Amino acid sequence: MDPAFLNQLQRIVGAGGVLHDPLDVLTYECDGLPHLRMSPAAVVLPASAAEVHDVVRLCARARVPFVPRGHGTGLSGGALPVAGGVLIALSRLNRVLEVDIPNQRVTVEPGVTNLEITRQVAPFGYYYAPDPSSQQVCSIGGNVAENSGGAHCLKYGFTTHHVIGVDAVMPDGELVRIDGALTDAPGPDLLGLIVGSEGTLAIVTSITVRILRRPETVQTLLAAFDTIDAGGAAVSEIIGAGIIPAAVEMMDALAIRAAEAAVHPGFPETDTVLIVELDGPAAEVEALFEIVKDICRRCKATSIEVAADEAQRMRIWRGRKAAFAAMGRVSPNYYVQDGVVPRTKLPEVLNRIRDLERRSGLPIGNVFHAGDGNLHPLICYDERIPGQSDKAVEVAAEILSYCIDAGGSLTGEHGIGADKNTYMPQMFSAADLALMQRVRNALDPLGLCNPGKIFPTPRLCGEVPGPYRAHPVEKAGLAERM
Amino acid sequence: MDWGRAPQRVDAILSTRRLNRLLAHAHGDLTATIEAGATLAEVNATLARRGQCLPLDPPFADRATIGGILATNDSGPLRHRFGTPRDLVIGVQLATTDGTLAKAGGQVVKNVAGYDLSKLVCGSFGSLAAIVSATFKLTPLPRASKTIVVEAPDVETLGQIVRDVMSSQLEPIAFDIHVSDVARLLLRFASLPNVVDAQIEQTLALAALKGLGAPKRQGRDGGCATAVTEDDAERAVWEERSRRMWDSPGAIVRASWMPADLPAALKGATRVTELAGRAAVGAGLIRIDGDVRTQAAAVEQLRHSTSFRHVVIVRGSDELKSIVDVWGPLGDRERLFASLKHALDPNGILNAGRGPL
Repeated sequence: MDPAFLNQLQRIVGAGGVLHDPLDVLTYECDGLPHLRMSPAAVVLPASAAEVHDVVRLCARARVPFVPRGHGTGLSGGALPVAGGVLIALSRLNRVLEVDIPNQRVTVEPGVTNLEITRQVAPFGYYYAPDPSSQQVCSIGGNVAENSGGAHCLKYGFTTHHVIGVDAVMPDGELVRIDGALTDAPGPDLLGLIVGSEGTLAIVTSITVRILRRPETVQTLLAAFDTIDAGGAAVSEIIGAGIIPAAVEMMDALAIRAAEAAVHPGFPETDTVLIVELDGPAAEVEALFEIVKDICRRCKATSIEVAADEAQRMRIWRGRKAAFAAMGRVSPNYYVQDGVVPRTKLPEVLNRIRDLERRSGLPIGNVFHAGDGNLHPLICYDERIPGQSDKAVEVAAEILSYCIDAGGSLTGEHGIGADKNTYMPQMFSAADLALMQRVRNALDPLGLCNPGKIFPTPRLCGEVPGPYRAHPVEKAGLAERM
Repeated sequence: MDWGRAPQRVDAILSTRRLNRLLAHAHGDLTATIEAGATLAEVNATLARRGQCLPLDPPFADRATIGGILATNDSGPLRHRFGTPRDLVIGVQLATTDGTLAKAGGQVVKNVAGYDLSKLVCGSFGSLAAIVSATFKLTPLPRASKTIVVEAPDVETLGQIVRDVMSSQLEPIAFDIHVSDVARLLLRFASLPNVVDAQIEQTLALAALKGLGAPKRQGRDGGCATAVTEDDAERAVWEERSRRMWDSPGAIVRASWMPADLPAALKGATRVTELAGRAAVGAGLIRIDGDVRTQAAAVEQLRHSTSFRHVVIVRGSDELKSIVDVWGPLGDRERLFASLKHALDPNGILNAGRGPL
């Protein structure tokens, strides 16, 4: 990178705020999708909105592409650096700016973690609803970029339903305040466009979210089924009965085994477990919970465990939320996808996935948000066996094609990023993508803000798609992945 | 056609009246795809056959079309629970000025693939593209519903009740305030019958409500401070509340405010005749009586007040619109709107001059 440019970056954020030594930037060469890697020319760590503004303005003037990054937990390569570009890491913007309990809103900087918002307001009986499984570590700025969901978004919606307004640095370096539909800001819902734009339209520097009053009661049950069809039928009946649970999660045998090995949640040894959580006024939860239990029994649940207290409830959720990481206990490597199908197509698509599992020889664990049809197939493979890594990528692509066939989506909450952009033409026509591209060009005419994400592009030169491969410095024993 | 500024020029009117079909109702998935010209009332009558609805209730459901509701992002009391159209739309098909049909979003309730243009067109007032059809998430119809109407002696008491309800664990489906010569509060609960009753009892036990008089079931008469209604009487209460402002003379503006600051805001808004809106969201409509100068002064007063956020004229005479801008300041978004308008409608043929872009 041009030393003069580095110098100017250092003048904005201080010498300690710029990393450019290849070993120093190593941490930043991938996010939570480790198989896509790229070394940025420089990493900048601004500590204020003004510094972000100055950095972006400098990049725009010098025509240097830049990529925003929160805490790097994203699963679609949304924070994958761009060759020769600047990675803007927002982890130093981590202040809670305002907690307004009477008006039920909180304003934070993008580097604050999702769970920190709830921690701030919990003493007053409030919480922040979107709850991605990574909520202890993921940043709210990343949540805004990806429009993150979580297990409870079936009832409470996604990030986009909870963001009241943002301050953002636009790709030309202009600092703007954008409030949205929640405050009846007149005009097109710009905020609705920016939330979920995967860091390609703006870098948010402060975020105001609404917080919700804790529900009066929460009840959770864990039901076991002999077949995935029986579990799926129970989900359909619950929704058909006019009940919108706070969460409905399913896990299959392989995922259950992995969770047991990792965090011992005490799940039964069975083909499928269903977690159903209801929350709200005590009388409502009590009455509807009985209906849910009846439905599970009618659908031939082999056991139903009702969480008797908060500890038991947390144990059930620990088993569910640890499921991804737990796959490491049963397989050397795994690759997770995020396709969505209409809820009524779940049994059909899951059976197709089980057929594929038999054909491919790769075990596939299934953990999913059954209430809204969001699948998380965990494809197990061993990178030491030649050909298995590529096979895993092929299997993932085939599963996504099942989702599209069923009228679903490539991604429910992880984002397209650099992981699935080549599949976009399966879901959107050339005209659809051209319209989105026009919107992008309107706000980022130079194409500098997180390029190479969302839109289908040829893979970068020398970049190999597919599962994780050890970086040269790892192979050389200079670094290791923790 | 009352909305917005006067058009610069009108060569053609594109009516969606014949695009009025319900294209799909996936009741098992709680979604429906609807053409832009279908009225909300028609759509909800059909969805009700499967015990579901599109939970939107802007005024004039018998005339309001799906496309129009999206383009204006209009809503009613159900906004308290379900949000505005942008919160319910999951996919859209658009006709753009270069003559192509393009879609965004999809048919599933959870989907983050591509830009969410279905939200972008919400509030666009037809100035970016023509909405052809849209897909929404639906909700099951409740088994039972009741509404409490509370008359507060003054706006301070009203404000106290609002704060009490907001900080309680009550879960109303609608929570409205209506302030004119009387300060009223309406709370609607919808769930299983016994749950509705339990929530009503809890509401009546709120500290701020005590001392306002004993509840009276089924309808209200005169001096009773609180009343509980259900069935036809309940529907009539909400219908009357929805039409009331539009049936009265004067200008009407859409406004938003900080919900906890309402009493102070109202004290400063001396020229306001009537305010009706969502108590916990802090958004609704304000009616301003009087001659056009008074109306203009009232709009300016609201816009200068630190308590109110956005103030947009939704009904006003041409004369009023010539004195004060319909949309008010768009802030930092104005420049971004101009870029988007230029990208999607470079010749400015859609709703030319009417705004907001």
